Amino acid sequence: MICIDNSEWMRNGDYSPSRFQAQADAVNLICGAKTQSNPENTVGVMTMAGKGVRVLVTPTSDLGKILACMHGLEVGAEANLAAAIQVAQLALKHRQNKRQQQRIIAFVGSPVKYDKKVLETIGKKLKKNNVALDIVDFGESDDEKPEKLEALVSAVNSSDSSHIVHVAPGENALSDVLLSTPIFTGEEGGSGFAASAAAAAATGATGFDFGVDPNVDPELALALRLSMEEERARPEAIAKKAAEDSSTENKDHASSSNTDAVMTEAEPSSNAAADDKKEQPKEDDDLLQQALAMSMEPASGSAAVADAAMADASAVDPDLALALQMSVQDANMSSESDMSKVFEDRSFVTSILNSLPGVDPNDPSVKDLLASLHGQGEQEKKEDKSDKPEDEKK
Amino acid sequence: MAATNTAAAAATPAPAPAAPAPAVQVPRGQVDLVDFIDWTGVECLNQDSSHNIVNALKQLYRDDEGLYLASDSDEQLLIYIPFMQVVKLHSTLIKGPEDEGPKTVKLFSNKEHMGFSNVNDYPPSDSLDLSPDHLAENKPTTLKYVKFQNVRSLTIFIEDNQSGSDVTKIHKIALYGST
Repeated sequence: MICIDNSEWMRNGDYSPSRFQAQADAVNLICGAKTQSNPENTVGVMTMAGKGVRVLVTPTSDLGKILACMHGLEVGAEANLAAAIQVAQLALKHRQNKRQQQRIIAFVGSPVKYDKKVLETIGKKLKKNNVALDIVDFGESDDEKPEKLEALVSAVNSSDSSHIVHVAPGENALSDVLLSTPIFTGEEGGSGFAASAAAAAATGATGFDFGVDPNVDPELALALRLSMEEERARPEAIAKKAAEDSSTENKDHASSSNTDAVMTEAEPSSNAAADDKKEQPKEDDDLLQQALAMSMEPASGSAAVADAAMADASAVDPDLALALQMSVQDANMSSESDMSKVFEDRSFVTSILNSLPGVDPNDPSVKDLLASLHGQGEQEKKEDKSDKPEDEKK
Repeated sequence: MAATNTAAAAATPAPAPAAPAPAVQVPRGQVDLVDFIDWTGVECLNQDSSHNIVNALKQLYRDDEGLYLASDSDEQLLIYIPFMQVVKLHSTLIKGPEDEGPKTVKLFSNKEHMGFSNVNDYPPSDSLDLSPDHLAENKPTTLKYVKFQNVRSLTIFIEDNQSGSDVTKIHKIALYGST
């Protein structure tokens, strides 16, 4: 139940455009937030001054009706806080759905003529009847108004369900200040409406990763998170791979450790692209052939193609990206001739093949491939290391 | 005909760790209605949030002397207990401390969602005036059985307490009847 202050003090312009207008905006915002956060919420509106304490609309979930009743409200007379709270209590008592929690939101923008004792008694009565009270204190703060209202709210408050907000006059609009208060966000932990409105108002950190609310769009948020993780994992994998490869001499040891590394890297990558898993073995084979071909070609020609292939492959498989990277490196380093490089290639290729699901290292075709690799490597060694395009793929 | 007292099977369990639970004389032919209480709808107005209605009603809580139901702003309490099926209420047992225990207790049958303001508008189905002996002993107080033949929900209004203090404390509320 929202109590609006439409007393003479609301003509003041210290909140732009006028106190009354700022209050009306805030009321509209609150009504929208409450009705959106829970479809069973109902909101009612009443005036504290003007023609007197009267209920403009009884608690309803129809937002249009609530906004319509705010039109044509006249400003005048004095606000009667005590009577207004009592009428609000009565209106809440006769609500249709008895399971709803009772809450009064009062906007107090003019001086309060009651003294603290009376207000505390009112507060206790509200607490006894399990009614929560939120107060928005704005306007002048003379005559102990803030202290009186604080006393009222602390008398009502039981387990932090009632709140009070003091808004000082200034450039900040009343509704903007209220957006971040618990009056708006409520105890349910923030409705989507309020949270997004608060996010829009507060420029900068929205509080959500990737600017997507996981509540609003879980799939999108999940996809964004996974791609971030994959992106993060790739340079780490490449660095780890390079370190391990460069430090091995023993082929078996290297192959086993590479296999372990490849296995663990294959794990996150396969987890990340869950729906790509079926396509991966096929793509791996094709790309592997491509990579092997690349490594036999001259530097200038293959560099551009290798980059393109790398871009494609790296999107799918981090270790494949590493292989391509290494193949580009090989192409560039034309005068390399160490056997260890070949061994690395071979062990690395072996380990890749071992890790690929569905590829059996004992398969004759695979063995042929490996033999041709080895043969080609020896041929390279015998030749003048001038990277002639042999183009003997197998 | 000596009053045959059934064993304490229905009500209190074996001696609890806190204090040995005394045997409650469950009236013959009646059962403890705690099993039929619809816990989702149980409400208590003006209760202290740290000492709430569960302490007085639920099976294990109510026998622990350290757990009690206390009122908050003033000494009155309004307890609303819905049942899962229609029951007949025979008697009730209310236990509390001698000084802050309840004195005037009004029971309303099948009155939904009353508030403190309209609680005195209706005549109660039954009204109990408890003395400190009632609060200490273990004998349930018999109610006007005819008024409680068809009970879907029970509202207990505790108007004041023994000493007139600001806080009313209740250790246990047990309801006996049949279905």
